[in-house]
Amino acid sequence: MSEAITLESMRADIAAAIGIAPEEIGDHDNLADLGLDSIRAMMLVDRWSEAGITLTFAEMAEQVELAAWHAIVARKLAALAAGAGR
Amino acid sequence: MTAPTRGLAAQGPAERPERWPLTEAQLGIWFAQRIDPDSPAYQTGQYVVLDGALDRAAFAAAVRTAVDEADVLALRFLEEDGAPAMVRDEDAQPMLEVVDVSGTGDPFAAAMASMAADMARPGDPLRGGLAAERLYVLRNERHLWYQRLHHIVADGYGTALLTARIADLYSALASGEPPRTAAFGPLLGVLREDADYQTSTRRAVDRDYWAKALDGLPEIVGLASGPALAARTHHRCAMDLPASFAARLQGLAAEAKAPWPDVLVALVGAYVGRFVGGQEAVVGVPHMARFGSAAASVPAMVMNILPLRVGLDEDSSVAAHVASVAAGLRAARRHGRFRGEHIRRELGRLGGERRLHGPLVNVLPFFERQPRMAGLATRLERLGSGAVDDITFTILASPSGQDCRIEVDANPTLYGREETKAHAERLAVFLERAVAAATLGSVPTLTEAEERAEIVAVNDTAHKVPETTLWALIGGQIEATPDAAAMRFERETLTYRALGEAVDATARRLAAEGVGRGDIVAVALPRSIGMVVTMLAALRLGAAYLPIDLGHPPARIAAMLRLAQPRAIASDERHRHLFPAGSRLVSARANGTVPPPARALPAAEPTGAAYVIFTSGSTGEPKGVVVEHRAIVNRLLWMREQYAIGPGDRILQKTPASFDVSVWELFLPLLAGATLVVAPPEVHKDPAALAALIGSERISAVHFVPSMLAQFLAEPLAAGLAIARVFCSGEELPAWLRDRFHEIVRGELHNLYGPTEAAVDVSYWPASAGDDSRPVPIGFPVWNTRLYVLDGRLRPVPRGVAGQLHIAGAQLARGYIGRPDLTAERFVPDPFGAPGERMYATGDLARRRTDGAIEFLGRADGQVKIRGVRIEIGEVEAALTGLGGIAEAAVLLRKDAAGEGRLVAYVVPAKGGAPVTAEALRAQLAATLPEAMIPAAIVILDGLPVTGNGKLDRAALPEPAGPVSAGRAPASATEKTVAALFAATLGLDPATVHAEDDFFLLGGHSLKAADLMRRVRAAFAVEIELGAVFAHPTVGRFASHVDALRAGETRRADLAVLLPLTTAEAGAPVACIHPAGGLGWCYAGLARALGDRPVYALQARGLTAGEAPAASLEAMARDYVETLAAVSAGRTVHLVGWSVGGIVAQAMAAEMAARGMPVGAVALLDAYPSEVWRDEPPPDERAALEALLRIAGHEIGEIAGELTREAAIRFLRAGGHALGQLPEETIGAIARIVENNARLVRQYSHRRYAGRLVHFRAAAEHGDGLDASLWAPHVAAVEAHDLPYRHGQMLSPAALATIVPRLQAAFAEADGSR
Repeated sequence: MSEAITLESMRADIAAAIGIAPEEIGDHDNLADLGLDSIRAMMLVDRWSEAGITLTFAEMAEQVELAAWHAIVARKLAALAAGAGR
Repeated sequence: MTAPTRGLAAQGPAERPERWPLTEAQLGIWFAQRIDPDSPAYQTGQYVVLDGALDRAAFAAAVRTAVDEADVLALRFLEEDGAPAMVRDEDAQPMLEVVDVSGTGDPFAAAMASMAADMARPGDPLRGGLAAERLYVLRNERHLWYQRLHHIVADGYGTALLTARIADLYSALASGEPPRTAAFGPLLGVLREDADYQTSTRRAVDRDYWAKALDGLPEIVGLASGPALAARTHHRCAMDLPASFAARLQGLAAEAKAPWPDVLVALVGAYVGRFVGGQEAVVGVPHMARFGSAAASVPAMVMNILPLRVGLDEDSSVAAHVASVAAGLRAARRHGRFRGEHIRRELGRLGGERRLHGPLVNVLPFFERQPRMAGLATRLERLGSGAVDDITFTILASPSGQDCRIEVDANPTLYGREETKAHAERLAVFLERAVAAATLGSVPTLTEAEERAEIVAVNDTAHKVPETTLWALIGGQIEATPDAAAMRFERETLTYRALGEAVDATARRLAAEGVGRGDIVAVALPRSIGMVVTMLAALRLGAAYLPIDLGHPPARIAAMLRLAQPRAIASDERHRHLFPAGSRLVSARANGTVPPPARALPAAEPTGAAYVIFTSGSTGEPKGVVVEHRAIVNRLLWMREQYAIGPGDRILQKTPASFDVSVWELFLPLLAGATLVVAPPEVHKDPAALAALIGSERISAVHFVPSMLAQFLAEPLAAGLAIARVFCSGEELPAWLRDRFHEIVRGELHNLYGPTEAAVDVSYWPASAGDDSRPVPIGFPVWNTRLYVLDGRLRPVPRGVAGQLHIAGAQLARGYIGRPDLTAERFVPDPFGAPGERMYATGDLARRRTDGAIEFLGRADGQVKIRGVRIEIGEVEAALTGLGGIAEAAVLLRKDAAGEGRLVAYVVPAKGGAPVTAEALRAQLAATLPEAMIPAAIVILDGLPVTGNGKLDRAALPEPAGPVSAGRAPASATEKTVAALFAATLGLDPATVHAEDDFFLLGGHSLKAADLMRRVRAAFAVEIELGAVFAHPTVGRFASHVDALRAGETRRADLAVLLPLTTAEAGAPVACIHPAGGLGWCYAGLARALGDRPVYALQARGLTAGEAPAASLEAMARDYVETLAAVSAGRTVHLVGWSVGGIVAQAMAAEMAARGMPVGAVALLDAYPSEVWRDEPPPDERAALEALLRIAGHEIGEIAGELTREAAIRFLRAGGHALGQLPEETIGAIARIVENNARLVRQYSHRRYAGRLVHFRAAAEHGDGLDASLWAPHVAAVEAHDLPYRHGQMLSPAALATIVPRLQAAFAEADGSR
């Protein structure tokens, strides 16, 4: 894991994938409406998985907004930390 | 683990289960499957090899749990009132089956066979059994997990989701860890979403997007020809890409700022582009439609297929190409819910021939390539993923782009197994090269092994040929067999010795004119011994000969002479009018004045030019191909050996010398010791005469252009002929013609191919009786010749794919004389040859069959062939726009109902210019173009139709039978009815027929005239004569005639002595005198072509009852002159006479001159003075009937059995000809007039007319006996023209195209001199 995944790092990653500025992405905006497509989303999921968590496209694709995605990632990161601490 | 709650699962067992609607995606599969209920094509399946200690109980539990979670696996389908529905029914759920095959000899094979059998079960959803879960036990630590899911229950994403869930549940159970994946969501959420979308504004937006995105979508072609309809099975070939590929792929993805799956779509799209040609390829991209959807966590069928346009700009960087395709993909996905089926319907692209997209490109990045199962090594293989319409390229990889594998699934009705495998291998190499390339343009299509096969192996034609010249070879033969028969012409035979002497004598005369090595000698002679000797004499001196077709217009001949600058023109005085004033002509005839052999004659060199042959040039002027000795020597020596030509062979020379086929006909026999049999001029157009000649001269080798071969085979005299070898070239040889040949003629048939630019022929194919090729190939290269099939960037194309044929090797021409620019354009460096070697770009489209034989597919440009004559559309268009008054012109080759091609021109008159007519344009074209290049129809338009991007829209050009004039709408009731009858007869829209429209210019002919008359009689209840439409061809005039008839004012005007053929009143009138039969209707076409001038036909007395026929020809001439005087009112009168009418015309001219009436031009169409006929036997009934048939444009031989008057009338009526409808008494009158005229002609002695005759001779009919010089005693001067037609064809549209301009010039001259 090269760097920590945070809400803001996720916002920046998504913005780069769509080609817009990070501040244009609200926490509850529909990312598809902002121009994110399934393949780019898949690439992001794959990238965030490099942090050591198991993220699947299936769980991320149902609700496509930053807040929901961050919640999933945060939960998994917490579980990972708990497991590592055990 | 508990099953998730489902809104619809709560119902009691006694209730009727709730009907669920199918998703739109499911409906697509439903209807496709219902077309073929037994087809297994929509079964999808896979297996996973499980290596390691499998906990079978845990595995069974995992499967059971996942199956319980997946609503789709508990679906039963039913059909109510014709509509499909589905219900949840737990009885429909698959149970895990365990099959132990460990006891079989080859457990893996047994499992494979069992899976294959299961995959082959019929797919009808109404039968149930839509899913299977099976575990094969191969041995203790090896299992095979097989799943089958009908496409109606799951798409690729759904299957992968199910697999991943089962694998995860197994891992959890086996390891005691919690599962990492979540349970599936309910299907109902997916169904609600699907239903909501139907009525959403989103759907309307999506629909608009597709309408715009697909505007101007090209016609879709696949990688193979044939309709793309779902097959029951498919071929599957897979290729793994090397591990190094992933890094390059990621590099390109980063450069293009595109996700790697989109990079792959872009590159596979570019690969597809290599097969379809054009500016873009359209592929189908499966879209999983899960992003932002409830279906993300549901195994279901919601997948859609989106059309994607892939631009094929191969010059920009690969990254730019990828970025552009990725942008298109991103936009498409945003609107990806709108079903492909709906897009297809809205664009009207239904059925296998009208497709929305070509091959599918399916990149699957969403799941790990290999399921992760605790303690097990896994390997997943896909068995099938749904029906394959055409060909599907699937790329499997892990989400990070590693482990790339290509799978190619191909429809077996379109692709062979080897072809499928070749695609997989070639695509793998293509992708590896493309990710490392700067531009796509630099990426070859073929693998190295394929390129070696296509360029080197198929062209292994090296053969030793001596460095020599045509004359050296023929001269050697003269010395070797001096007493053998070298040449036959009519009744004359020339030995090789005599031939050598004649050539020597002519060569000396040419040398005396200054002809030497490197010069050009134009040869403008009819086919004869003299022609052959003159050509040989030129070759003897090291000069090239340039054949001039005597039928070509002087303007075209002048253009050739300007380019070629011949040192001498070998011709005779008869043809002086063809050459520019002051041209010096060298006589071909030996006249005893052979210059002494003052010095040794020069000799030719192998690199010297042998001949210059002109072909049509797209830039508007003909281009002269210069062929060297070494090139033609290669061709002739190849042919001598290939077909074992030698002494004893008799080869017919019948091709006009201006076609290069004549080159082998002329010289192959002479260098092989065989006999050259020269056909008399014009015989090559007459199948009966040819058949007779071939039989009587025992011809052993002869050439036919295929269209002429078809006519020849239709000739009864050809049946049963034995001809050892028949060669075809010049056009495609249709397979049916090959088969017909072998039914009719005993002998070999060979199909040869080659352009003039490569010494006659470069490929050959034995079209034997046993050959069932369709199409008939043009075959394999001749000696020292390489044939390449290349794409637009000169890259070799795969076998079976169309490309442009290029020729390299010994036979290439030197180039186009005087046109280094054109030469450089067509003769380009050979990228596969030694440095300095050239190749010729033929412009022909071709492809190689799997056996390497080449098939000709057509032209890549505007070149067409009509009866074997090569024509550049551009030259015809340039001639039209060069006429003045024409702003734009487009010319097309259109096939008529019988499949025969004809040129149709579309012209737009210049703004503010004089009005143009089709007939006048055709007449003007005849002054610059040879006959074959003159359009059969000219359509005048206000503007040419263009496509959205401003190009000429050829498809929108109307059929030529359309109206030719805009004008006054029909006014009176009679006019309206007549217009409607014209339209009905000719199959036109009545609204487009105007009052001034001419029945014949609208497309009518004599057969249609008879049809029109039936309709007119029924509509008006009048007795109307058939000639009325010839006499009154426009709607307005015909209607007036009908009105007059109904008012009882008219009797048979069409049988009167003076029949007006036009309504024009101003200008000097033209009188056309009837031929033997006494009717003048045959001049109707001439009258139209002459345009705005009063034209009358003079018809014989005696056609109507109670009228006596003329008593003498003098009396007839007096009668006609007096009749004319009444209408000419002192004006000059021009006279035209065909056949007997010509004799009368001369007599009238003399009579008018004697009376002091101004005589204009006197034109005779194939007429000869009366004394010629005096000793001929008097005509009988048969001759009269023959004359009658000729009036109708038929020949006597067309009637089977005995020729009686009844048979002739039956024949004419059966053919629907107007004459057949004449009353019995009129036909009797015609027969009497024929006999009477014959008698009058024999009794008549011509009076001298001290003026000039313009004479047109039917050269195709007459040998040397009859010509214009026979008139010399009876007139002051004769201007003679030879036309390549028969007597009966002199008023045909084709002949008129030549005659009318000459006539108009003569009329203008005579008008001006008064």
